[in-house]
Amino acid sequence: MKRHIRPYFLFQAAVSLLLSSCAHHPDVPASSREAKCLPAIFPDYCDVTVPCNIAPLNFMLPADQYEECVARLTTPDGRQQTYGEGVKVQIPESEWHAMLDVSKGKNIKVEVWGKATNGQAKSGNEEKGGWMSFNPFEIHVAEQPIDEYLSYRLIEPSYIVYDYMEIAQRNLTSFEETQVFNNKVSCDDPQGQCINCHSYQNYKTDNMLFHARVTRGGTIIVNDGKVSKVDLKRDNTISAGVYPAWHPAAKLVTFSTNLTHQVFHTAHPNKVEVFDTASDLILYDVVKDSVSIISNDPDLLEVFPSWSPDGKYLYYCKSVPLPEEMRDKDIRTTYPKVQYNLYRRSFEISSQSFGEEELVYDAASADKSVTLPRISSDGHYLLFAEGRYGCFHIWHHDADIVCIPMDQYTGDALTAETSSPIDLTLFNSEGHSDSYPTWSSNGHWIMCASRRDDDNFSRVYFAYFNNGKVEKAFLLPQEDPEMHVTLLKSYNRPEFMVEPVKISVNEFSRAF
Amino acid sequence: MSSAGHSKFLRPLCTLLFGVAVLLFFGLAYPHHLHYQEQYQLFLFDRTYVWEIVRLPGGVADLLGRFCTQFFLFAWVGALIIGALLSVVQLLTLQLARWGRLYGLSFVPSLLLWLFLLDENALLGGVWAVLLTLLASWGFSKLPNGWLRRILLLCTIPVLYWMVGPVCVLFFLLQAPRPKGAAWWYYGVFVLLAAMLGILSYCLPVPAERLWLGIHYHRYQTVVPVLHWVAVLSVFVLTLIARTCHRWVCAPCHFIVTFLSFLLVAVGMGCLVWNTSNFKAEKVMRYDFMARHQQWNRILATIRVEKPKNQIGVTVQNLALAMRGQLADHLFDYHQNGIAGLLPDVERDATSPLPTAEAFYQLGMISVAQRTVFEAQEAILDFQKSARCYKRLAQTNLILGSYEVARKYLKALQKTLFYRDWANETLPLLGNEEAIAQHPEYGRLRKWGYNEDFYFSDHVTPEMLESLYFNHPDNSLAYEYLRAYYLLTGDRESYARLLLHTSMTR
Repeated sequence: MKRHIRPYFLFQAAVSLLLSSCAHHPDVPASSREAKCLPAIFPDYCDVTVPCNIAPLNFMLPADQYEECVARLTTPDGRQQTYGEGVKVQIPESEWHAMLDVSKGKNIKVEVWGKATNGQAKSGNEEKGGWMSFNPFEIHVAEQPIDEYLSYRLIEPSYIVYDYMEIAQRNLTSFEETQVFNNKVSCDDPQGQCINCHSYQNYKTDNMLFHARVTRGGTIIVNDGKVSKVDLKRDNTISAGVYPAWHPAAKLVTFSTNLTHQVFHTAHPNKVEVFDTASDLILYDVVKDSVSIISNDPDLLEVFPSWSPDGKYLYYCKSVPLPEEMRDKDIRTTYPKVQYNLYRRSFEISSQSFGEEELVYDAASADKSVTLPRISSDGHYLLFAEGRYGCFHIWHHDADIVCIPMDQYTGDALTAETSSPIDLTLFNSEGHSDSYPTWSSNGHWIMCASRRDDDNFSRVYFAYFNNGKVEKAFLLPQEDPEMHVTLLKSYNRPEFMVEPVKISVNEFSRAF
Repeated sequence: MSSAGHSKFLRPLCTLLFGVAVLLFFGLAYPHHLHYQEQYQLFLFDRTYVWEIVRLPGGVADLLGRFCTQFFLFAWVGALIIGALLSVVQLLTLQLARWGRLYGLSFVPSLLLWLFLLDENALLGGVWAVLLTLLASWGFSKLPNGWLRRILLLCTIPVLYWMVGPVCVLFFLLQAPRPKGAAWWYYGVFVLLAAMLGILSYCLPVPAERLWLGIHYHRYQTVVPVLHWVAVLSVFVLTLIARTCHRWVCAPCHFIVTFLSFLLVAVGMGCLVWNTSNFKAEKVMRYDFMARHQQWNRILATIRVEKPKNQIGVTVQNLALAMRGQLADHLFDYHQNGIAGLLPDVERDATSPLPTAEAFYQLGMISVAQRTVFEAQEAILDFQKSARCYKRLAQTNLILGSYEVARKYLKALQKTLFYRDWANETLPLLGNEEAIAQHPEYGRLRKWGYNEDFYFSDHVTPEMLESLYFNHPDNSLAYEYLRAYYLLTGDRESYARLLLHTSMTR
């Protein structure tokens, strides 16, 4: 089905193209003093490894310290080009992609000059102001591309009340961003509408879903391109479906069902706690519109289902029983003691039956809590987010992404000591929340939502993954590099896609 | 001077009188409605912000409305803007026909728009939409009949629709008598307009009914602004009457008749405006305004004249009493809503939480204030942001040490007209621990903040106040609130314990 919304954005795209074709190629400063350090560019793209099809890595020098910036990019064939206007370096898409094409498997050398502001010069940091030349850095261009599309929910990092939110999709090879859906178009009630949990089958968009809550609530399911709204709350479930996971081959979706609550800290930097007082797992058959229970232990909390790429195993997290003396106490006091381990069950697609539960990773033994498991496309690696407690690590400063090789798992539960985790030092941030890890479809790029920039607004970071080695993380590039500084929205639940969602906002709205 | 000469002189005078009446009304009787409007938007001098508005039908009128609304921070400037806009609407209406004896009717659309603006959720973009449509109609009336006019009509309809939204139907209606023999052409334009809306409703990510009724004439997305549409259609109906009865209307008459027609409409509609005005809401907004600007003495002077009974008034009254150290001693001199009058539970709307958030902030409950302000802003029904809330969120983040988050809000405020200076002054404080510690407000509030962490939700408990006071006995506001809390709940034991503790520590 055609995206009728596209012509509407054509004018916008044409203007952008026109502007980008008028790139500024400044001269390299005739004289400069050596700073003997790397430039403090934002985003930090120094010595990162990027996909061979990524959008231009535009960056800037701090506007309060510099008034001009010039960058010279040198490709392996010896060609050079300069960029820079004000403190920003913005590279036209066509020129950038030409540079990537000749640099596959090699490096682009970047030299940066910055002209300090007068105030900075007076401060004595730079004796006379003027131009500074920084140590050059390299951008390594991997031979493997990244999935062409990324979708995320753009939302204010709110407490309970929410207003405008949208699920957007971004072409990672350019700066084009379009809406998948927004909560304005089908909401006619002052209570508003919350949209969340977009999910795709096998990175494709003909089978996908997202939820709408409160006004005209339900789960919007796209089944072979046909849109419908279903109510997943059944008599035998504690709630409608929440966190989804499409089976990679069959028209089946696993959901957790959750009774979720929030409380707010007065002094702790974690700010918000989100916790469940009950959660189970269900299996939804898209074709039959039937729901069956997978796991509903009344005393324990099962959450975050995720399929192995071959569809033979369902991974999920399950809480560890609280000590006897804490079981009857208020969850708000016991919550910091709630920890989740990682389990899996085998799945027989012909009979749609699950095997016995296996403990895959015992995080609690190391006083940790594991969430959001994701298996790599080749099945060899397992990514998850890990914090000290709870299941909502995006608010937990200590949360990091962990990657373990699955060949370590032989049936006995892995632990922090026995799992031989991959070194993710270059991917994780220090003391800030890193959560919601994901693999690209080719398994060479990992992605997470991170609050490393300001502890409040989550941003998308990528890193190159090759044979168990992970390179330095880099921020989702934007046309205006300052956009990540000024945008007062969080990138929530980033998901890779190999194709865009082809259904328009209005077509989705007609399902309500 | 002849009667015609008197009329020529009289008409500008009547318009001026009308404009001054609007100015005085909004400046003297309704100023806090203007403040209320201003605090629920954040006009940014930013390309992306402007594009997001003008890319939708009605966007130009909406943008102009928002641009003008930022001046409502100063009520008299806002009143002047509204007075000028409504006067221009009247003058443009006057140009549409020869009104003669019915001169007074040319004020009716403006008066109806005045009535529309009495609603605190009516947006100025609606007035701009009418004004721009009338301006286009007036400009069109200067064109001679012929192909050029028809081609321009064809082009103007979609352009005007994009600029002002569905109000542009007025432009179309006002052209109705003109084509005469070429009615097929006229109805062709109508079909074009309908087809255009049909296509747009399919393409634009906006509910279809909003394309027909207006995307942003009113803050409530689901409300059909009836008065606005009555004002729009009144232009057409009244013009039609004036044109149809033009022989009688334009027969020579004494200028007194002209003046009387104005007087009749002005008095009649004026009474309607006065009786429709929501002065109760104005009083509530006044309390909110005084709390926002921390006018504690003015609040005390106000409550001495008239004791507030509404929740916001009582909350602000108690805050002002506490700020001046009089809360516990004079608690029962004023109306109280039980403990809900001190620190009410946070409701999910954009208005009532803000005075409560001011009290949280002044008490040193910074994270609670932050959440309350954030929730209030998220509850703004037309998805706009609030300069008032941005400012407070920058302050709470600064006090809590979340400097990069504060920077985001300050950078946004740097793109405003009236908050730019404050943002520029505040930015250097980020990360400057010494300057924050010495700051009379931020330093004090940071010191008074919670040392121990606990969870909070929508309801304030005495333990929250006790924690504030017992950890910081110099937090005089917490002391006042705690005493008031015990007095209102009749908790004598705790009250006595508090006094004992105070006598031992002071």
